[in-house]
Amino acid sequence: MKIPECSTVQLVFDEGIGFLELNSPPSNTMTLEFFREFASLIGFMRDQQEFKALIISGHGRHFSAGADVPVLLKEILEKTETDKAGRLAGVPEFLSNNYKSLLMLENLNIPVISAIRGVCLGSALELALFSHFRLCGEEAVFGLPEASFNLVPGLGGIYKLCCISGQATALVRVLKGSTFTAEDALKYNIVDKIVPKKALMNSALAFAREVMQDFKVEKRRLYIKKYLS
Amino acid sequence: MEGRNVNVMETINKTSWEIRNDIGIITLDNPPENYLVQPDFVHIETLRKWTSYDYLKGILICGAGKHFSGGGKLENLFRMIRDKENINETISKGKAVLEHLENLDIPVVAAIQGICFGGGLEVALASHIRICSDNALFAFPEINQGVMPGLGGTLRCPGKAGFAKTIKLILSGDMINAEDAQEMNLVDFIVSKQKVFDYSFNLLQKLTKDRPLPVINAVMKALKNARLLSIEDAMKEETRMFCELALAEAKRRNGLQENQA
Repeated sequence: MKIPECSTVQLVFDEGIGFLELNSPPSNTMTLEFFREFASLIGFMRDQQEFKALIISGHGRHFSAGADVPVLLKEILEKTETDKAGRLAGVPEFLSNNYKSLLMLENLNIPVISAIRGVCLGSALELALFSHFRLCGEEAVFGLPEASFNLVPGLGGIYKLCCISGQATALVRVLKGSTFTAEDALKYNIVDKIVPKKALMNSALAFAREVMQDFKVEKRRLYIKKYLS
Repeated sequence: MEGRNVNVMETINKTSWEIRNDIGIITLDNPPENYLVQPDFVHIETLRKWTSYDYLKGILICGAGKHFSGGGKLENLFRMIRDKENINETISKGKAVLEHLENLDIPVVAAIQGICFGGGLEVALASHIRICSDNALFAFPEINQGVMPGLGGTLRCPGKAGFAKTIKLILSGDMINAEDAQEMNLVDFIVSKQKVFDYSFNLLQKLTKDRPLPVINAVMKALKNARLLSIEDAMKEETRMFCELALAEAKRRNGLQENQA
C-alpha cells in the first residue's frame, strides 16, 4: 500500500488503523490545498481494504481553526460564475468537492473518530461532525463563527448540527457565532466523551480497537453507551 | 441602526400583532386561557401581511397574561360540525398558518408560560425555539373528547420527542410539567415565570441584531432543508448559499480595500 504524500495533512497506517493528522501548525488552517489533499486521502482509504478504523486529529495543540477565509473568498470571487447582474450562476467545482469529501468520509464503512484538542472551529467542526464519533480534551474550544463575518457554515454543518443537537441549538450556535466549551459540546451531543487532554489519543485508539471489530454505523448509539459512557 | 417599532397594535380573531425593535410579536390574546377562537387563529392572509415587512428579523409568539394557550375550544368545533360548516377547510387553514410560521426564513420563538395545551402546543411545536417558564404545563387533551390533535401536532411531535413518547402524550391526554417537556425535547429552555417574555425577546435580539438578513435567511433555509431534504440535497444547497454570501462578502471586502487605497 502506497499512501499518497501530502503537505498539509498526513495519513499514517498502523495495525489496521489510519491516523489522519491535519498538519499546518500552529492552527492547522484548512487551506485550499488541504481540502484537495484531504479529498484524495479519503478517496484512497475508500478504495483500500486494509483500513479498519480512522482517527482524525490535529498536529500540535489544536485540532484546527477552520478554513483560510481570506484566500477562500478570493478564490470564490475568481472561480464563481455569475450572471450579468453579478448574481451567482453556478457553484465552483472546488467548493462542491469540499462538501462531497465530507460525505465520502461519513460513508466510509469503518469507524471514523475525531480526537479533538484545542480549537475546533468553523469548517473543522463541520469535518468533526461528519465523523461517526467525537472525543475531546477538557480544554477543547468549539464554535461556528461564520455568521460573525457575514457567512454561514457551508459544508453541511447546519444540517449536521440540526440532526445532532436539535434545531434550537443549531440556530443559537450558528447565529451567535460565539465559541463554547467541551462541557457545552457534550450537552449538545457534539462530543460523545470528554477525556483528559493527555489521554486523548490513547482513549481514541482504545475505542477504535473496540469498535473496529464489528462496526455497523447504525449501532453508533450502542457503541457510545457501551464504550464511552 | 435602531430597530423599528410599529406601535399600533392590530388585533384579529383574538390574536394581536406589534413590532418592537424589528421583532414581530404575535400575542394569543383571549385571556385568561387564550383559547384559539378557530384553527386559523390568525387568517393566513393577515399573517402573510404581518410577516411581510422586509426588515423583520424574528417573530415572538406569546400568550396574554398568565397562560400561553389552552388550545382550541372543542365546543366550537362540535358546533361547527352541527352547523355543517366545512370543518376540513377550517382545519386546513389552521395548518397553513402553522406551516407559514415554520417555513419563515427568520427565527420564530415561542415564549410559553402557564398552560400550553392542544392547539396551543401545536403552535409552539411549529416554532423554531421553545422557551417556557418553570410553571408551564403541556398536554394534548383532545383524546378526552374522543378526538386527536388536528394542526400537525401528530406530525411535529415525533420529530422532537420520538414516537413512543408522542404516542403516550397523545393517547393518555396526561399533563406534563416544564422539566418533563424539556426532557422530551418539547422545550429548549426553561426560565423563571417572570422572565419568560424578556428572556425570549432578548434571545431573539441577541441572535439577530448584528446579523444581516441574508445571513439569517440562509441559516433558516438550511435548517428547513435539514427538516425536508436528503443530506446530499441539503448540503448542495448549503454550499450554494455559502457561495452566494461569500461572493457578496468578497466584493464588500474588495470595496473596503479600494476605498482605503
